[in-house]
Amino acid sequence: MSKIALIIQREFNQRVRKRSFIIMTILMPILMAGLMIVPVLIAQYGSSPSAAREIVVVDSSGVVAPALRDEQGLAFTATAMTYDSARMAPQYSGAFGFLVVGPQVVGNPSELTLYTRESSTLAIENNIREQVRRAVYQKRIEQANVPGLDSILERLQVYPVLTTYRLDARAGGEGAARESSSAISMGVSYALGFIIYLFIFIYGAAIMQGVIEEKSNRIVEVIVSSVKPFQLMMGKIIGMALVALTQFAVWVVLIGGTMLAIQHFALGCADAMPAELTTAVKSLDGIFLLKMAGAFLLFFTGGYLLYASMYAAVGSAVENVQDTQQLQLPITIPLFLAVVVMMNVMHDPTNTVAFWFSIIPFTSPIIMIARIPFGVPAWEVALSAVLLYATFLLIVSLAAKIYLTGIFMYGKKPTLGEMLRWIRYKG
Amino acid sequence: MGDILSAENIIKQYAGHRALDDVSLSVPEGSIYGLLGPNGAGKTTLLRIINRITAPDSGTLKFDERPMTADDVCRIGYLPEERGLYKKMKVGEQALYLARLKGLDKTEARTQLEMWFRKFNIMGWWDRKVDELSKGMAQKVQFIVTVIHRPRLLIFDEPFSGFDPINAQLLRDEILNLRDEGATVIFSTHNMASVEEICDHITLINKSRNILTGPVDEIRRSWGTGSYRVDFAGDPVQLAGAVDGLCSSEPAAPEASADADRLNSLVLTPLTRDIRVRELVGRINETVEIHGFREMIPSMNDIFIRAVEASDDPTEK
Repeated sequence: MSKIALIIQREFNQRVRKRSFIIMTILMPILMAGLMIVPVLIAQYGSSPSAAREIVVVDSSGVVAPALRDEQGLAFTATAMTYDSARMAPQYSGAFGFLVVGPQVVGNPSELTLYTRESSTLAIENNIREQVRRAVYQKRIEQANVPGLDSILERLQVYPVLTTYRLDARAGGEGAARESSSAISMGVSYALGFIIYLFIFIYGAAIMQGVIEEKSNRIVEVIVSSVKPFQLMMGKIIGMALVALTQFAVWVVLIGGTMLAIQHFALGCADAMPAELTTAVKSLDGIFLLKMAGAFLLFFTGGYLLYASMYAAVGSAVENVQDTQQLQLPITIPLFLAVVVMMNVMHDPTNTVAFWFSIIPFTSPIIMIARIPFGVPAWEVALSAVLLYATFLLIVSLAAKIYLTGIFMYGKKPTLGEMLRWIRYKG
Repeated sequence: MGDILSAENIIKQYAGHRALDDVSLSVPEGSIYGLLGPNGAGKTTLLRIINRITAPDSGTLKFDERPMTADDVCRIGYLPEERGLYKKMKVGEQALYLARLKGLDKTEARTQLEMWFRKFNIMGWWDRKVDELSKGMAQKVQFIVTVIHRPRLLIFDEPFSGFDPINAQLLRDEILNLRDEGATVIFSTHNMASVEEICDHITLINKSRNILTGPVDEIRRSWGTGSYRVDFAGDPVQLAGAVDGLCSSEPAAPEASADADRLNSLVLTPLTRDIRVRELVGRINETVEIHGFREMIPSMNDIFIRAVEASDDPTEK
């Protein structure tokens, strides 16, 4: 077994067996699922309070009160009293509010006032407005006295459904099109871009800590007689990359399984699924997913390798994590920039900013992966990937020089300038 | 046998101070070589240069009497003064990893390690994490992984620190064993007793300079005054008279022993170099009852202190 393989194996085993890794790997998809499910649950149950809110209706028109239906936690009670006496009446002391409807409400729908004891909510106001609108609308149809008017009006309503297709010559020859969905592209784009960002950040920092540990515990000195510092650094970086990919693979399996389960469950009540979502799911065909997985692997690996070698160089220069703050800046700034630009790219994936940031190596892993779901010409992807890997080779050779000098340097914490000068030392 | 390692005119400058100033030494193959010196003298810097962890500013290193190359480092086992182990890793797993990094295959590494772990009586620690170990325990593990691949040259930086006398004895025996099996050992230490016991050669560094170097027995003889100490029952004045003309004599502090109050002691310093010891002993024997007679050879401890003080204050010499 070669030495670098041994180093990779140790790095991988140590990380993967850690309790924190196992917990994170299992918990993360649950947390993410929770993040998606909780808003749905809140929307479903959260809006209806345990006791219905009583709204006393003072209707002098006689049109609105009979038409009001109790729904969404609202209970309407019609009263013959005036607003002033109803407000004082003991039987209405627990009422949430009073809806005062003017006598000419059919002619003038602004004759509508809601008094509430607590502050009202947008949902309550919308509900009342909609119910009153329907009642007044119905009344107006009756007053128009045209037979069959409501069915005529119903026929006049237009509900267009826009189905979008992307022309894709490669998919099935000339003129072949497949259904696409901007919503799903945006979702995939955001998720993948963000995962690459997070992984680079988390695993890069872990590399840095690992290097600091080996330096401050003098482990490097013990094994320098059998291993070249470059092997140690690369072994660490590659081992960690495998850990990250393992974690990602577990997530894909877990999330994929959950999605299948949800899909299966959703099919049982297909009518509950909005048309938009059906289209979205249909556009997720196998080729698209495979392409995305390939692009993710390509750009994640490249971006990770690039940043990990810089993190390793920073780690080699210091003896404890606290000293890294300032030295990390050249790494974290392009990363943050990439995330900021990604937000822009998701809304307009073809503009100049998107193009350049997906070509420049330090931001390209995140920006390119965010653009790919929307469709990117192959030459751009190829150029971006070639530049990314070429930059990695350059950076890793510089990082190795910094590492070689830094890993045996104790005492004062170096400045960035000093670290850059180490590059020129002959190894 | 030739020198396995020699360093010639090594100079290492750090910002603000010179850590090594024109230091040279040659380590004969198969010897145990002591590198001595006060704290901060530059011992560790020299060991790190030999290991190619740092590069000297000038000077040359030779391995097997040819210029040392990067590949020669794999024939060296280095035990740094500060511990070099992963704290969160299990002891056995870690030892196995380090042994395999040093080129042993898996089964061989395991057999060797189990042999050493039994020898050092730490087999029960195999599945414990390193940060649960005491300093001495970790030192044992560290020592094992340093020697496991049987390097030709072993370099120990303060190997005895953190050891109780029993374990220090165990370690000394193992170092001697390794030497007998053909390894050459360089170690730095403050422990002068261990130097006397096991070192063949020493180099004493003070303030970045080599102030004393050579085989231990030669150094001790040359730093000796040539005096003898005699412990006896009888009259000191009578004895002083008996050796008059051969030696000058002065009273010596009695040594702590069971019959110290019964005995007298004198230090006899010969007036000429070529004194005949038989004649001297004969004269003493005729005058008093001899209980002890021996040449006074300075301890390494005395030599260390005297040499360092002399080099600190050049006007004294």
